[in-house]
Amino acid sequence: MSSNDEYSDNEYYDEEDEDVYDMEDDGSASEMELDGTADYDPSRPSRKLYEVDYDTLTQEDVGRLMIADVENISGIFGVDPDIASLMLRWADWNKEKLIEKYMDNANAVSVAAGISPPEKAPEGRSQSSSSRQNALGPRRSSARRGAQDSVKSGKTKLMERISPPIEDAKFVCPICFDDTQTETLALPCEHKFCKSCWDAYITSKVRTEAESRIACMGEGCSLIAPDQFVRSALEDSETWERFQELLVRHFVSEMPNLKYCPYPSCTHTVSCPSATKSSLATTVPIVNCGASTTHSFCFGCNVDSDHRPVICAVAKMWLQKCRDDSETANWIKSNTKECSKCQSTIEKNGGCNHMTCKKCKYEFCWVCMGPWSEHGTSWYNCNRYDEKASVDARDAQSKSRASLERYLHYYNRWANHEQSKKLSVELYAKTEKKMEEMQVTSELSWIEVQFMKKAVDEVIKCRTTLMWTYGMAYYLERGNEKELFEDNQRDLERAVEDLSELIESPFDPEVIKTLRQKVTDKTVYVQKRNEIVLEDTAKGFQEGRWIWNVPVAGLD
Amino acid sequence: MDARLRRVNKEIADCKNDKQSNISIELVDSSPFHLIGAFDGPEGTPYEGGHFQVDISIPDSYPFQPVKMKFITKVYHPNISSASGAICLDILKDAWSPVLTLKSTLISLQSLLCSPEPRDPQDAEVAKHYMTSKSSFEETARYWTQIYAGGPGKEDMGKACDEGLRDEVVMAGLDRAHVDQFEALGFERSKVIDVLRRMNYRGANVAQINDDRVVEELLKS
Ligand SMILES: [Zn+2]
Ligand SMILES: [Zn+2]
Ligand SMILES: [Zn+2]
Ligand SMILES: [Zn+2]
Ligand SMILES: [Zn+2]
Ligand SMILES: [Zn+2]
Repeated sequence: MSSNDEYSDNEYYDEEDEDVYDMEDDGSASEMELDGTADYDPSRPSRKLYEVDYDTLTQEDVGRLMIADVENISGIFGVDPDIASLMLRWADWNKEKLIEKYMDNANAVSVAAGISPPEKAPEGRSQSSSSRQNALGPRRSSARRGAQDSVKSGKTKLMERISPPIEDAKFVCPICFDDTQTETLALPCEHKFCKSCWDAYITSKVRTEAESRIACMGEGCSLIAPDQFVRSALEDSETWERFQELLVRHFVSEMPNLKYCPYPSCTHTVSCPSATKSSLATTVPIVNCGASTTHSFCFGCNVDSDHRPVICAVAKMWLQKCRDDSETANWIKSNTKECSKCQSTIEKNGGCNHMTCKKCKYEFCWVCMGPWSEHGTSWYNCNRYDEKASVDARDAQSKSRASLERYLHYYNRWANHEQSKKLSVELYAKTEKKMEEMQVTSELSWIEVQFMKKAVDEVIKCRTTLMWTYGMAYYLERGNEKELFEDNQRDLERAVEDLSELIESPFDPEVIKTLRQKVTDKTVYVQKRNEIVLEDTAKGFQEGRWIWNVPVAGLD
Repeated sequence: MDARLRRVNKEIADCKNDKQSNISIELVDSSPFHLIGAFDGPEGTPYEGGHFQVDISIPDSYPFQPVKMKFITKVYHPNISSASGAICLDILKDAWSPVLTLKSTLISLQSLLCSPEPRDPQDAEVAKHYMTSKSSFEETARYWTQIYAGGPGKEDMGKACDEGLRDEVVMAGLDRAHVDQFEALGFERSKVIDVLRRMNYRGANVAQINDDRVVEELLKS
């Protein structure tokens, strides 16, 4: 492989891309670089500086971790696994804390965890197998025992409930008032209710409250239903599955090195022990849950799914700043949407910043509204805010205007990439249409026109990087390091705009092969530029090269 | 029959049959899931003699989720919003149990009137008033009972229940002399009442609030 090898990344493309390599006909070197193995492997040896090590776990994998803890506690305490599980949940899955508390006062733990009722907490001696048995499974009692149970309900100070009749034989459920229910269930507290009420109650807790802690329905009763009880009460296996998912979620939320995938209805978990609090000062732990290539998220924060290259604390600060100043920013956004030459309104409908006015054919840059001729050909000087020019401020008032201008410089570029990213759905649709056209007008196969989709993928990916480089640059202290950072940023931005323009311009079927080569080459180049920004920024964090112009939370 | 409907119908019927508790539950329209409950203010409290109405709305998952209740009648009480009638009571939230009923919940509301819990307030201003001077608080609560809940003393006050003739100073639980004092400085009376109420200018607090601070607040409002 060529020296470009180091820039090919496994995560860039989906599985289908593998085929492109095999079916390659002209086998250009640059296209080969695009074809990483898509099979996701978190333990890949060639980890980049801006990547972190992590593992992905399915719900079953996490379930096995939980079972290991439960069996461990069950063995130490000599209690049934369901009981051990209730205790662990009470102790937020902190085994050490639980063992300590249990050794100190087993009964207190048993009461607090909702296993035995306070008044009749088993005395150490009587905690025999029979009382354990009680605590465990559902008590199915015949209607005959109903009367005896219902009298027990104690304290009625404030509440007055409709008591079921105390005659023998007939059990009237105190919740649904149905006297035809034959199947009843009760926890060791002996608060007895019909099975269908338990079912409805647990279903309501699980489904509408997302609650896995199922307390007894009895008034003021704090007993918690063990898993076996829940399972036997539920008719619907889907609710039981949801209940188990909730248990897993609770477990994961208590483990500092585990995180549940934030994407809706995904049940995968990521384990990233290296993402400690202190590591967040120098690394951005972007992980993927393994269920889908799109399920990427930051293990350190929930500011954005990927805010590389900037660290969590600074990303958070920047977003807060944008929120606080949104009014000003909105004003700017809504005031810069006409051609600077003929003033006709221009709608941006793609990601490219090279705008051509439909009316007067004036070519300009969407970001700075300046003529494009000064951008594309000479050098792309649209990314760096000219501090010197604006620091001429003499009085406080113009200083504050300068600071607003400075913010808007970064904000506009940030917002521009963000907006382009938002238009990605349309861009994909447009590109797909183009790819279909290409197949019709040239002899290229569907797989051979994939280079277009790859280019779009890359452009969108790099716009995320660019967005956050502006968030970062805003907080970087002036100096050589910042200038180098902005040089890299400018190179990436130029490459991205270049590629973006190429894929959005109309194509000539005659020269499709040339276009293909051009797009492919530019895609590789963009990829390379993105690598450089991410890698160098990550390196800068490790070397402590980045100096902030404001105090950053969590850093000394 | 739908279990929820059977249960609610039985609850309404049980309540009708029970003449002892003095709790009533009436239908608002044809739906049994939107009701109005009512009870008398407990004896020996500032709410004595008043008649209090409560809006009851029964959620789809009743009785597994708590019933929704709020006061229709205005009440001056730390755990009840003086503006909206919203209630802060554990059994209407996490301490709810499906064995509780509409009647038992209304009885709980009645006993809430006997035992305010100012440390877990719904209405922070009322709670502050309660903590500062219980006797002044009770006076105000009694006045609210007269004005809004048809409590005793209404006759003596003639047409006091007419909005215009209501004594706003007593309504806010303030001292007339204090209101007069700041009004004399040239501020609007209603503004003075509002600011003094917000600042809890009552009882022992008065000595701790500098006049300048009051004026400052008055100028700001
Ligand atoms: Zn039942
Ligand atoms: Zn119970
Ligand atoms: Zn996922
Ligand atoms: Zn983060
Ligand atoms: Zn124009
Ligand atoms: Zn520009």
